[in-house]
Amino acid sequence: MKKIILPVALALSVLTTPVMADKIRIATEGAYAPWNFLDDDGKLAGFEIDLGNALCAEAKLDCEFKANEWDSIIPNLIAGNYNAIMAGMSITAERQKKILFSNEYYPVNKSKLATESGTKVDVDNIKGMKIGVQGATVQADWLEKNLGADNTIKSYEKSDQTVAALYGGEVDIVLAGDGAYDEVIAASKGKLVFVGPGYDIGGGIGIGMLKTNTELAGKFNAAIATLKANGTVDTLIKKYFKKGPFYSVTMDSLKDKISALSARVDALEKK
Amino acid sequence: MIDAIMNSAIIQEIILLAKPALFNAYFALASIPIGFPFAIFLALGKFSTNKWISLPARAFIYAFRGSPLFIQFFMFYALMLSLNKVLWKPWGIDEWVLHPLFIGPFVLILNTGAYAAEIFYGALRTIPKGEVEAAKAMGMSKSQVFKTVTWPNMLRLSWPAYTNEMVFLFHSTSLVYFTLPVINEQKDLMNKAGELFEKDYNIYLHFGVAGLYFLIASLIIFYLSELMRRRLNRHLA
Amino acid sequence: MLEIMPDWLLSWFSDDSLEMIDYLTNGKHLTWYASVRYTLFAAVLSALFAIGFGLIGAALKQSGFFLFRWIGNFYTAIVRGIPDILFILFFPLAIEQGVEYFIARSKCTAEQIATSVNWPPCEAAQWFLTTNDYLLMACLSLGLVYGAFVANVIYGALQAVPKGQLEAASAYGFNQKQIFWKFKIRQMWAYALPGLSNIWMLLIKATAFLSLLQVTDIVYWAGLLGTANYFPSAGMVHPNWNFQYYFVLFVFYILLTMVSEKFFNMLQAKASRGMSVVER
Repeated sequence: MKKIILPVALALSVLTTPVMADKIRIATEGAYAPWNFLDDDGKLAGFEIDLGNALCAEAKLDCEFKANEWDSIIPNLIAGNYNAIMAGMSITAERQKKILFSNEYYPVNKSKLATESGTKVDVDNIKGMKIGVQGATVQADWLEKNLGADNTIKSYEKSDQTVAALYGGEVDIVLAGDGAYDEVIAASKGKLVFVGPGYDIGGGIGIGMLKTNTELAGKFNAAIATLKANGTVDTLIKKYFKKGPFYSVTMDSLKDKISALSARVDALEKK
Repeated sequence: MIDAIMNSAIIQEIILLAKPALFNAYFALASIPIGFPFAIFLALGKFSTNKWISLPARAFIYAFRGSPLFIQFFMFYALMLSLNKVLWKPWGIDEWVLHPLFIGPFVLILNTGAYAAEIFYGALRTIPKGEVEAAKAMGMSKSQVFKTVTWPNMLRLSWPAYTNEMVFLFHSTSLVYFTLPVINEQKDLMNKAGELFEKDYNIYLHFGVAGLYFLIASLIIFYLSELMRRRLNRHLA
Repeated sequence: MLEIMPDWLLSWFSDDSLEMIDYLTNGKHLTWYASVRYTLFAAVLSALFAIGFGLIGAALKQSGFFLFRWIGNFYTAIVRGIPDILFILFFPLAIEQGVEYFIARSKCTAEQIATSVNWPPCEAAQWFLTTNDYLLMACLSLGLVYGAFVANVIYGALQAVPKGQLEAASAYGFNQKQIFWKFKIRQMWAYALPGLSNIWMLLIKATAFLSLLQVTDIVYWAGLLGTANYFPSAGMVHPNWNFQYYFVLFVFYILLTMVSEKFFNMLQAKASRGMSVVER
């Protein structure tokens, strides 16, 4: 009997020694290109991996990325498996009840519907359609509230599965946040298209942390501010998304809008 | 007093999980009535002396008993999806072929069919040879022998093991929504318990009550099956 | 892979199949193949845990003291009535929360414990778990679940050892302790083997659940690799290959079952040498 109990006791004693965290562990999904994905070598790569490493270098933190499935990414943060989440996660009031967010590192942008070319979608009045979306996302919540009554909402574990379901004809339309479908639609050679103007769902993208971890949030916020100011964030957005929205350009476009407005005011005044 | 009981967390949880429990019940009730005859055919197939019948039945039983149900779900869902555009859509049946309420029982039937077939096959092998010989000697036809000797004996001998299989099948229904897309609010016990857990991290309450539902369902199956066993064995009493 | 292949070998293959070989031997796929170690490790370790819990369970079940007997029966009954998947998800989290509860009692202030909405109530009570810890936890849960089945089998096997053999041993002058360890336990294994073999088959199939505990096992990687990739910078662009990848797993598990069957047949032949009772 001793022989059998010993390994059990050993394993338990290993398990019950709390591991002190000196490393900052950052969880990501690893299946949400171009935000985060696994490259051909099986290593995590993408916008958030590059940005995260840059932020940690700036804040002088020792960081390490690990993959975690999307639907358990917040529970496992709270369970203490890692210190932060960078997984294309929108800052929302709902999530802020559970976790603390850093300032955004990617601006608010529209969520878009995509469909197979040839499918007729009356964007103002979507009815009787099968709509695919990744589960536990702001888009899924939004669909449930706004289009759930007249349509069938199918939620999938991973973003890529929504596209596979669209190709396979299991759903008629899919909805995802910005950037997730751009490359997919470009690579589809016209088979898939965006429809409609898009929707404002959720806030910008931020780093999720434990509510108690204000110290880490402070460090990340300082680093985010620096990297936004010196253009690193924009460079990475350009690298992975090919297009905006950029932080610096957003300012420029604001100026454009202001000058356009003042031109109209001038014209009105002249009348 | 009644209000206090009704408002307690456990009662609230039991009410909350009642609807999801119906989904598990549906999956089991949709699978057992079809899985049972399917298993009988497979068992008779494996028992057959014709190798063109016996071999495929053997292979099917071995494959589905030798691999995890979890993988079988993933595999069949992927297969169904890839056939959608070439088969289901043109036939106009894509609406329900890809529905978890269809694929769920479909895979469960294949799986329970294999497990139950092995049980029935085991029973077929242990049917007393003397009884079959005696029936033949009395001049019964093949179908008469089957009806009066083979069938009741097989059922009686395999019943305890088949009861276990039905309980396992009910437990297996909890895997459906781990592998298939969730449509609107159609969620089963595990799925709903997981969702509730993610809101307040009270694993003891949510998983405890979900477990309670499974436990009660298992007891009901054992009870009904015991009634059936008594019926099957009444001539022996 | 292609870099280390000699030219004459390369010339054998068409461009398409070379591309396929390159794809199937890239880092992602090599990681997938290597992740088999988690499955095998978990199966073996869980089996050891299961035997441990099974022996404890069987000892409780045949204990003379009613409370122990009651606990043993409760353990084996509850596991039979509840799906294994529930336990596998429940135990690691429950153990983690339980440990954190005890740390919290000493490290957090009473106010934090009373008012915090999050778990654990304060940062100091946070127990960080790595993937390997989760793997261990998963094995422990699998061990607890299948330990209940093992307890039933061992309990049954202990009853099956013919009384005559033990009486004979007693007649030869062995004492009670010797009889129990040298005869009852040793003989018991031969009777328990067929049952244990069945549990092992169930256990290897249950290792497919590891991915649900964030262990990057073969199922996790198959899901990831099979999912369609429409993003050229994330590797080869391909449609949904989920079926192909899961089919490979399907075959893998069947082969694992076959190998296990052969192994147990060998063991059975060895264990039942000289025993006419178990031959059929």
